[in-house]
Amino acid sequence: MIASDLLKGTLRTIVLKLLADNGRMYGYEMTKKVEELSAGKIKLTFGALYPVLHKLESDGHIITEEEYIGKRVRKYYSLTEQGRSWTEKKVDEFFEYVSTLTYVLNPTPV
Amino acid sequence: MCSTLHLSDMIAEVIDQNIDRIKGDLSKSGLTYDRLQDDVLDHVCCMLEEELESGEDFESSYDKILDFIGNKTLENLQHQTLLLLDKKFQSMKNFTYLFGLTTAIIAIIGALFKRMHWPGASILLAVGIGLVLLVFLPLYFVINYREQTEKKNPVYAIVGYFTMATLLCAALFKIQHWPGANVLIETSIVLLVIGFIPLYVVNAFQKVGKQKIGLPYVVMVLIGAAVLLTFINVNMSKDLLDIYKDETVINEQRIEMIQDRTDKLIAMTNDTAFANVEESIMKIHSDATALQMMIKDMQNEMLVYVKQEGTAVGDLNHIDNRGAGREAIVENGKGGNFARASLKYRIMLDELIENPIAQSQIFDHLDFTGNVWNYEYGINDVKHDPLMKNYFKLSDASIGIALSEYVAISYLLHQSFE
Repeated sequence: MIASDLLKGTLRTIVLKLLADNGRMYGYEMTKKVEELSAGKIKLTFGALYPVLHKLESDGHIITEEEYIGKRVRKYYSLTEQGRSWTEKKVDEFFEYVSTLTYVLNPTPV
Repeated sequence: MCSTLHLSDMIAEVIDQNIDRIKGDLSKSGLTYDRLQDDVLDHVCCMLEEELESGEDFESSYDKILDFIGNKTLENLQHQTLLLLDKKFQSMKNFTYLFGLTTAIIAIIGALFKRMHWPGASILLAVGIGLVLLVFLPLYFVINYREQTEKKNPVYAIVGYFTMATLLCAALFKIQHWPGANVLIETSIVLLVIGFIPLYVVNAFQKVGKQKIGLPYVVMVLIGAAVLLTFINVNMSKDLLDIYKDETVINEQRIEMIQDRTDKLIAMTNDTAFANVEESIMKIHSDATALQMMIKDMQNEMLVYVKQEGTAVGDLNHIDNRGAGREAIVENGKGGNFARASLKYRIMLDELIENPIAQSQIFDHLDFTGNVWNYEYGINDVKHDPLMKNYFKLSDASIGIALSEYVAISYLLHQSFE
C-alpha cells in the first residue's frame, strides 16, 4: 500500500495518463484500473479522485459526456486537445522527477 | 451465460429501485452539488453492483459501503471540490501566501537593518509588520477558516489572529520604544501559551493527511523568525541600558571628584585677597548646589517609582522601566523647573564671566540647557525612555553643572589675582 501523502502530488498525472491510454473512462473505472495496474498497491479513494477530476475539467484539460445507466447518470471523462499535450508534458516531468529522485536516494559511488 | 445476464439485470433493477434513497442519503450527508453527486452516485452504485454480484443482499451491502465511506467524507469532498473550483478563492490563497512571504522578508530585512544600525530600519520594520498585521494575517485566517469542513469553528482563527497581532505589535512597539510595549508583550505571551499554541497543535493534527501543509507552514515559520529577530534587537537595547548604567556609575565618581576640587577652591575664598569675588563665587556655588539637589531629587523620585529608594546605581533593577521618567520628571513639573533654573544659571554665569575662553568652556559644559535638553532630549523622550537612560542623562547634566561651577569659580579666583 502506498502512503496517501506520497500519492497526493502525482494523482493528477495518474488520472491524465489513464485517460490518455484508455480514451474515455468513468470514476469507478479509474479506481479499478489503478488498483489493477498497481497490483493493489494504489487505492484511489473517491474523496481524492473527484476533486481532481472537477478541477481538471474546469481548467479545460478534460471534458465529460453523460450517459444514462438505468436511472442514474454516468459521467465519462476524456482528454481535450489541450489536455493531451499537457499530459505529455506532465508525464515527462514526472519521469524526470522519478529518475532524479532515484539518483538522489540511491547515489552510486564515484 | 444466461444466468449471469439474468443476475446483472436483477442487480440493476434492485439498484434502480433504491436510487432515490441513495441519492437522498448522499444529500443528507452534505453532498448537494449535483455534478459531483452524479459522480459519487454512480461510484456508489458500481460498488453496490460488485457487492451484490458476490451474493450479498442489498441492505448489508449498502450498510458496508456507507460504513466504508465514513461519516464526514462526503461533506468534506464537496467542500474541497468547490474550493478547488472557486477561482477567486484559489487566487486569494496564492496571493496571500506570496504576500506573506514578501512581508516576512521585508520585516526580516528591517530587523537586520536595525541590528546593523543602518538607516531605514524603522520604516522597513513598520511597513513589514504593519502589512503582516493588517493584510496577511486576516487573509490567512479567513482562508484557514474557509478550508475547515468539520465543525467549522471560528475560535481558532480569531484567537490566532489576535495572538499573532499582539505579538507582532509588541515586538514593533518594543524596538520602536513606543509606550505600552510591556503590556503588549505580557498579553501576547498569555494568549500564546494558553490560547494559540494548544489550538494550533490540535488544528495541525486534524489537517495532517487532508490538505497540503507545506507553504503555509513555511510562511508561518518565516514570520516567527521575523518576530524572533526583532526580539534579539530588544535584547540589544537591554545591553545598551547596562552600558548607560556603567556610564552613570563613572559619572557619579567624576562628579564627586569635581566637587572635591571645587570645595578646595571655595575654601580659598576665606582669604581676604579674594574678598572682591567672594560674593559672586558664593552665588555661583549656591545656585549650582540647588541645581544638583534638583537632579538628585528627580533621580530619587524615579527610584521611589520603582520601589528602590536609596539603592546605589550599580545595584539598580528595573532599569528598563518606562514609567519612571514620566512620573518623576515630566508630570510633576520638576523637569521643567530644572530646565528653567539651569538656563537662568547659564545666563548668570554668562554675565559674571567675561573671559571668552572660560565662557566657551562653560557654554560647552552647559550644552544640555540648550539644544540637548530641549530637542535631542525633549520632553517626549523623557516620558517614554527607560529609567536608566533618564538617570544617565540627569547624571550627565550634573557633570555639566559641576564642571561649569568649577571653571567659573577657578576663573574668578584667577582673575582676582591679576
